[in-house]
Amino acid sequence: MHISDGLINPQNPANLATAVIMWLVSIAFLAWSWKKAKSTYSSSITALLAISSAFVFAAQILNFPIAFGTSGHLVGGTFLAVLLGPYAAILSMTIVLLMQAFFFADGGIVAFGMNVFNMAIIGGLSFFLIKLFMRKSDSKSRFAASVFAASFLSVILGAFVTSLEIAPAFAGGVAVTVPSMLFYHALIGLGEGAITTALVTSLQRLQPTVMNGLALLKGRGKL
Amino acid sequence: MKRQIAAVGLIVIFLVVLIPFASSNPDGLEKVVATYGAQEHANLWSGLMTDYSIGAVGDSYASTALASVFGVFMVLAAAFLVGKSLAKKSESTVRQ
Repeated sequence: MHISDGLINPQNPANLATAVIMWLVSIAFLAWSWKKAKSTYSSSITALLAISSAFVFAAQILNFPIAFGTSGHLVGGTFLAVLLGPYAAILSMTIVLLMQAFFFADGGIVAFGMNVFNMAIIGGLSFFLIKLFMRKSDSKSRFAASVFAASFLSVILGAFVTSLEIAPAFAGGVAVTVPSMLFYHALIGLGEGAITTALVTSLQRLQPTVMNGLALLKGRGKL
Repeated sequence: MKRQIAAVGLIVIFLVVLIPFASSNPDGLEKVVATYGAQEHANLWSGLMTDYSIGAVGDSYASTALASVFGVFMVLAAAFLVGKSLAKKSESTVRQ
């Protein structure tokens, strides 16, 4: 879902303006996340932040095949949100995207604001979808289902925003990009849901202490 | 600390073992771009190791594996610094 700069037409003022606006929107969300992350956690999350970010970076390299000669990879926003809570998850994914853009040209520089919004911000905020689906329930199966739904929706929503952002590069515009992006990302989203749910439920069993986001969900610590 | 090092080790092993099995098909967005013929422009920046490969390393598996493992450590270091500065600020608020 990484938008390259090649898809942004520098000669099209509306296209360039969208990229600038998404940079500003993302900076605003990052400043908010930074402020909230400073006040949310009672103990240091440094080690967990570093390791989970590195894991998500590694997972994003490993594309899995879907159908029709197309592949997808874990985005990992919901996974990070369960481990780190929404604010540190946004920061974590932004670090991953920054390193991908800088070292590997995976995602553009002009398009960086768009990519941060589509993957880091939507991914981190999917935390609140889990919260919404869980209500006050303490059921483990409801938690697993909520994680599946939130991770699926985070990919669909990210793909939808992406399809609007890249539309100017296509002769057919949104009529082409929206249905095709949603089609492929519905399949990728199922992979995202399955992998995220498997990771989260195994960590919940093996290493429950790393689930800072889950603790926040259950009302331990202020959001 | 031992457990953190073990976790990083596992991530590196997981990556190096699975890279040959990763799909090289275009991802969802690349497929849409290829199918509907987007109007593409030159990229501003082509990265230091474009497409997770190191030009100087001939073998494509070794090239991707080295670039990817390098990336893992860069992410680890950057996230560690961010985590440290987040924690530092919260300590100073506690002291006030």
